[in-house]
Amino acid sequence: MFQCKDVAEEASNYIDGELPLGKRIGLLLHLVVCSCCRNYLQQLRSTISTIALLHPKEKDDTDTLALAKVLLKASKKQ
Amino acid sequence: MKKTISLDKNHEKSLIKQLIAGEPQAFEMVVSQYHNIMLTVARAIVGEAFADEVVQDAWISAIKALPKFEGRSSLKTWLLNIVSNGAKTRVRRENRQISLDDGWQIEPDDHFDQRGHRLDDVHKWEQDTPEALLANDQLQTIIESTFQQLPALQRAALTMYDMEGIKMEEMCNILDISASNARVLLHRARTALQQSIEKYQGN
Repeated sequence: MFQCKDVAEEASNYIDGELPLGKRIGLLLHLVVCSCCRNYLQQLRSTISTIALLHPKEKDDTDTLALAKVLLKASKKQ
Repeated sequence: MKKTISLDKNHEKSLIKQLIAGEPQAFEMVVSQYHNIMLTVARAIVGEAFADEVVQDAWISAIKALPKFEGRSSLKTWLLNIVSNGAKTRVRRENRQISLDDGWQIEPDDHFDQRGHRLDDVHKWEQDTPEALLANDQLQTIIESTFQQLPALQRAALTMYDMEGIKMEEMCNILDISASNARVLLHRARTALQQSIEKYQGN
């Protein structure tokens, strides 16, 4: 039997369509009777969409304009 | 919803021509577009201390190799592979001097009882569309700061798979990890962000 903890562990695999059939059925049966896990999965889906939209960046102090200039010079030396 | 930031093939071909022709705007464009994700990959493989250097070297190699770029992969994937190779070489060279926050540490499992049942109820978020969630500036800041505090490998997996739409197999090659490891990293990163949003919603 799938428990809440199993859902929490397999949630990403389920969302990404990577869960084998047996486990997928186990998870779906658990969802039928557990509103907490239904809500949790919906939260995880919202999180993924939100991250994709926000697209947070790596911390980076690079002056990209200056780097582009250096690379341009380097390319002309070839 | 997958957001893929990549140029279409034709656009990419013309961009590469412009780079080979030495057009400054093309250089500015590729650097501003790809530097950040190259840094993400370098940090994940070689760690913070050597990442900037590895990425700069990768840029130089890429610019030199550009006339040989055949377009079999996207420019982004090609650049990321160059960074990845450079970073892996650097790891071998530096050997034991690199310490990575590898993202594998086991987190305490305090949400469940011994039988695997949840200890606390999980409620629906009142607002759960990305647009609605991001309309809240405070929440947006929380998400960004949670992202930046993730271990480098988790950040890389999340960025490549969920934001850049890079395929699992390609991502595993670039980061030099197995698919099952990549899935663990991805899930941990997503869960950390989900929990930070949930915590904010609960307040």
